[in-house]
Amino acid sequence: MTQDKVELGEKLGFYFDQTACTGCKACQIACKDKHDLPLGVNWRRVVEYSGGTWRQEGNTFTPNVFTYYTSISCNHCENPVCMQVCPTTAMSVREDGTVWVDEDKCVGCRYCEWACPYSAPQFNAESGHMSKCDLCFDYRQEGNDPACVSACPSRALDWGPIDELRAKYGDNAAVAPLPDPSITNPHLVITPHRDAQAWDSGTGDIANPKEI
Amino acid sequence: MAKLSQLKLRGWRPKLRTETATSDPRAEDEAQGISRRSFLAWSGAVGGAVALVSVADLGMPLTRTEAAAASGTPGGMLGADKTVWNACLANCQSRCPLQLQVKDGTVVRVLADSTGSDEFGDFNIRACVRGRTQRQRIYSPDRIKKPMRRTGERGGGQWEEISWEEAFDTIASEMKRVRDTYGNEALWYHYGSGSTGGNITKRGTWPRLLNTYGGYLGQYGDYSTAQITAAYPYHYGGWVSSNSLEDAKNSRLQVMFGNNPLETRMSGGGELAVVQKTRREYGVRTIVIDPRYSETAVDVSDEWVALRPGTDAALVAGLIHEILAQNMQDQAFLDTYCVGFDEATLPKEAEPNSSYRSYIEGKGPDGVEKSPEWAADITGVPADQIRRLAREIAGAKPAAITQGWGPQRSANGENASRAIFTLAAVTGNIGIAGGGTGAREGNYSIPVKAFPLFDGETPPVTTQISCFNWIDAINRGPEMTALKDGVRGKDKLDVGIKLMVVNASNTLINQHNDIHVTQETLRDDSKCEFIVVIDHQWTPSCDWGDIVLPSTTNFEEIDLIPGASCSDMGWAIYGDKAIEPLYDTKTGYEMCTEIARRLGIEQEFTQGRTQEQWRDWLYEETRSIEPDFPTKEEHAAMGVFRKKNPAGHVVALKDFREDPEAFPLLTPSGKIEIYSQQLAEMSKTWVFEGDRAGDKLTALPEHIDTWEGALDARDSKYPLQCIGHHYKGRTHSSYANLAWLKEAHPQMLWMNPIDAAARGIKNDDIVYVFNNRGKVRTQARVTPRIAPGVVSLPQGAWYQPNHNKVDIGGNVNTLTKYHPSPLAKGNPAHTTLVDVEKV
Amino acid sequence: MNTHELPMILFTVIAQMSVGTFLVLGVIDVAVMRGRFKDSATRVVEPVLYAIGPALVLGLLVSMLHMNDITNVFNVFRHWNSSWLSREIIFGVAFAALGFATAIVTWLRAGSVALRRVLSAVTALAGIALVWAMSQIYYSVVTIPAWHTAIVPLHFFGTTIILGALAVGSALMVTAAIRARNEPKPATKTTTKPAPTSGFAAMVKGRIAEINAPTSADEWALTTSIVRWIAVVTAIAGLVILLSYPVHIADLAQGNATAQAAAAVFSGGFFIARMVLLAISAILLAFFAFSTARNTLRERPGWLVTLMVSAFVLAAIAEIMGRSLHYDSMLRIGI
Repeated sequence: MTQDKVELGEKLGFYFDQTACTGCKACQIACKDKHDLPLGVNWRRVVEYSGGTWRQEGNTFTPNVFTYYTSISCNHCENPVCMQVCPTTAMSVREDGTVWVDEDKCVGCRYCEWACPYSAPQFNAESGHMSKCDLCFDYRQEGNDPACVSACPSRALDWGPIDELRAKYGDNAAVAPLPDPSITNPHLVITPHRDAQAWDSGTGDIANPKEI
Repeated sequence: MAKLSQLKLRGWRPKLRTETATSDPRAEDEAQGISRRSFLAWSGAVGGAVALVSVADLGMPLTRTEAAAASGTPGGMLGADKTVWNACLANCQSRCPLQLQVKDGTVVRVLADSTGSDEFGDFNIRACVRGRTQRQRIYSPDRIKKPMRRTGERGGGQWEEISWEEAFDTIASEMKRVRDTYGNEALWYHYGSGSTGGNITKRGTWPRLLNTYGGYLGQYGDYSTAQITAAYPYHYGGWVSSNSLEDAKNSRLQVMFGNNPLETRMSGGGELAVVQKTRREYGVRTIVIDPRYSETAVDVSDEWVALRPGTDAALVAGLIHEILAQNMQDQAFLDTYCVGFDEATLPKEAEPNSSYRSYIEGKGPDGVEKSPEWAADITGVPADQIRRLAREIAGAKPAAITQGWGPQRSANGENASRAIFTLAAVTGNIGIAGGGTGAREGNYSIPVKAFPLFDGETPPVTTQISCFNWIDAINRGPEMTALKDGVRGKDKLDVGIKLMVVNASNTLINQHNDIHVTQETLRDDSKCEFIVVIDHQWTPSCDWGDIVLPSTTNFEEIDLIPGASCSDMGWAIYGDKAIEPLYDTKTGYEMCTEIARRLGIEQEFTQGRTQEQWRDWLYEETRSIEPDFPTKEEHAAMGVFRKKNPAGHVVALKDFREDPEAFPLLTPSGKIEIYSQQLAEMSKTWVFEGDRAGDKLTALPEHIDTWEGALDARDSKYPLQCIGHHYKGRTHSSYANLAWLKEAHPQMLWMNPIDAAARGIKNDDIVYVFNNRGKVRTQARVTPRIAPGVVSLPQGAWYQPNHNKVDIGGNVNTLTKYHPSPLAKGNPAHTTLVDVEKV
Repeated sequence: MNTHELPMILFTVIAQMSVGTFLVLGVIDVAVMRGRFKDSATRVVEPVLYAIGPALVLGLLVSMLHMNDITNVFNVFRHWNSSWLSREIIFGVAFAALGFATAIVTWLRAGSVALRRVLSAVTALAGIALVWAMSQIYYSVVTIPAWHTAIVPLHFFGTTIILGALAVGSALMVTAAIRARNEPKPATKTTTKPAPTSGFAAMVKGRIAEINAPTSADEWALTTSIVRWIAVVTAIAGLVILLSYPVHIADLAQGNATAQAAAAVFSGGFFIARMVLLAISAILLAFFAFSTARNTLRERPGWLVTLMVSAFVLAAIAEIMGRSLHYDSMLRIGI
């Protein structure tokens, strides 16, 4: 139903190395600084996923636990549910495959916010509109990396045409707490942390629900 | 250039729709008449020839890190008036260059370093989350705008604005009065680290002023490393690092005791980058020993060993017991290079059975064998795991054993640090590539000339107390002695602290143990008679000043900024002025010059130099030591100057290992003193009385069950051990007030699900954390990432008492005890017992 | 209570009630088309029709509160080919417009009876489409387990039927109560045929007088009969909704962690209160209304009025609470 609105171009997306992320959120803040985002609006967010148990014997203890972070902005999905549900067509796909929101059209109904399983569309109370990652449109035009990518102290982020990213890094985005990638076909490739859990495993919990 | 053309071939151009003008910032910029050409011309001029080439090649967007590696252009906002190099200055031991984009005299965007690469020795020094928040710091609502003078009682919160003239006159006359009445040793320059990393913009201007005026009571140690710093001379003869973390690529095993570079060295051009790259490319097996499942453990460890805080020395004893049982110790190393591991190498003055081996075997005075079972009970690490670890650590040749500064920041951290040194000796890893001393990792740095704190060889006053002991010096200065309080340079103090200069320091309240004791000490202004606080943010410490002066941030000044720690890479950053001083603020140099003029010492203080001329002098001096260091002009153009360690990797004590006769240590024996005869003697003479009775010095790095330690917790009313880890959203208390960072990294209490369940607490519940000293209100992070029985309230949150004296800011020092450690008289921040309840 | 989504709660409940009211009226209209109440039907049903319009307009206005920038509001139709929200608004506007047109032509007695019936039928279809589109807004969000289930349309149509039926019942009873006040004056023969006078004002006045004229015996018989049917329909719909919850909860409890968390929303005091209120209003009070209707006198409808209106008010509260829980269960997979 929506294919007619998607002219597939470069199909840009992100790569994320879960093994390197320390949850420092330099990406989130570089994004905020670049786009002047107010509190409560985070085009890029970092989610901490933890689980496991402790065994206690006498006065000793042994952990069997895991933790890893996932930095997520918009994955500029192949099948963007945000766009499908948007009543105004404000949410749309550019020729380069990036999903963007045209604030001139948006009514701020927040339906896309409900739908997106990555929390990519973020409501900006100051403008009354939805807002989201545009993969640093202006930086890209100048041949520079998006702010988050060049910000990461751990070099955990990369970007580019999703086909190139997949050729280089594989094709895994099915890591908890992210959703089943078949829902939206995100332009996202993840190198999973050694303790990464499958998206449907339900073995852990999001440790920082208030921060995302 | 070859690299560039290759990239060009495989480069790609995003196809972008530009019909929507409103979504295209470039179109907006052009509409504002800022041409792309002028921007490029500017960036070419600043970025140098390399930049010109790549920028001219704009048709070809590079991908990601190669772009940064190749171009050196900052990118960022088109249409900014200028882009200026400066740095993130705070005490994190990383030092990140920043590029501030300025438009209409306002910083509009903060960019990271755009030079360097992903290679060792040439890292692109990417600022962490804090550096990227500078704009919020510069324009923070907490900026101090005018000089302020207190009107009510001290700490009462009543203030009036005063003129700079009045402020300078008052400070100068108070300095004169206190010096004339009590002498120079009544003056105190307060410990703090809010501008660490700066050079002229560091806190150096105020010590120089005080030294020019005859000096002030000195201090030794610091709040970060007091115990290990005090332990070094007795063990190694002086400060010794371990090998660099980059050198771990030569290791078979890396063991990190409380070492957490991924959180405490967070820069993309700091040890974070080194450790991650070493791990990625060399896969060195890594064991992290920490009560917390730290980010270092999460990302680069193969095994996390969770232990109770303050029990590292017990763990080491258990490990060495097993190593001895397996006869896996490097006996030749112990015999040749060490004193007191075995009875045979004890100094002749030592009592029999006072060797470390006797201690382990239970032949020493305590008669307790330090078996893995003994260690397991104390540390929480199961005995089988201790045995396995011991065999692994002793069997890996070489092994890089390092420690962070968390283990030593405890009630007997001196022994903890020496115990870890001892493990490095027992395994024979000291002084070799891939090994280490058990100390903190070493780093190469460029010897950038520092703004002089005094002229001459030594400061005019050489009497010192521990930096942590100032509360005692205010309360009972003349009672403080060498044997009781670690006074150095004199047997006892003649006078207490009467005037404090608190510059870029939040240690007056926030960062000092037991805030309530501090408040009561400061409230009585007959004790310390005058306090001047200088800062650019109104911190909780400002509340306790008599006069508060508004300073510039380093972005409103010029400087030559030395790099910090990144293994074998040294660097220096050009500190340029991005904007004019905001509000009615002044630079530290200007303030001190004004006061010096009033004290009649202006010429001595300034040497006739302006700040700019001092910087020129720093360049000259640095270049005289380091000839390949750039000129100021060259540095301005490059922003960041890097240099690789000419010696390869830091391998600590290499000379000593190769030839202990030719390169002896500065210990009395010239060897590594696992048994210290000096400490044995001091243990008989040093005095511990009052609430410090029971503290002790030991010749060996024994485990001591201290006050509020792991065993004390078992039958305490407050059964949880509370530590305060370094938090990603702030550097100590710097940046802790910024909204973006509080959103990204809110204050919280880490607690294990077992302890939480016992108290009916769920993740994100609001809780009280309390003991007999104070009460904190914060949210709970119920997480398996911390050992049972342990909670962590990350240090540095700003103290914020409500009307019930409950600290809703969540400052750990509302709970910690003021109780200087036995040898260093240092800060035992991680030795605190608390309980927690749901609000 | 989910105050954050209050505009949506009120909008969906009111809109569904409006649609339900229209549907129930239509069913009555069709049912009595050829029976002995043929002539009474119009006067019984008409006042109710006029009450729907304001309710729906109110509902649409409330829904605007959900838009954060109403200056762009006309864009909401653009994505009709993909977005169920667009479709909802289209059908919502269509239903309101058609409903308004129906009311106008009925009021003016314009066009033939057949035309009015066709218009009513089209309006009814638009109403059904509206409720369907509303339910699909939630059902189509595959990332929210508690919404992506057939329970959502079931509940939405359940609300439509229960509140529609009880609203009609209450309106009938209120009308009867108003008319009963005029009872002392014996009913005249002009009740069904007012003398046409000239002028719009006179016409309006005449129509109001006509509407307020006392109830005839036939009308009353029809009214009580409708009330009894309404009670039956309401009770069945209420029972279906009550029974659907255990199924919904069990379904979610077997799902992923998000679904399980959503299942937990349907527990606790608020949920129980919602269930009890629905049981009281839709089943218990309806049962009383059913048995009372037969014996209630035209001149003294008081008790039946109270019963019907109470049932309606309590059911409306129950449905608003149920809708609140619906929004509470918005727990999305992913982050």
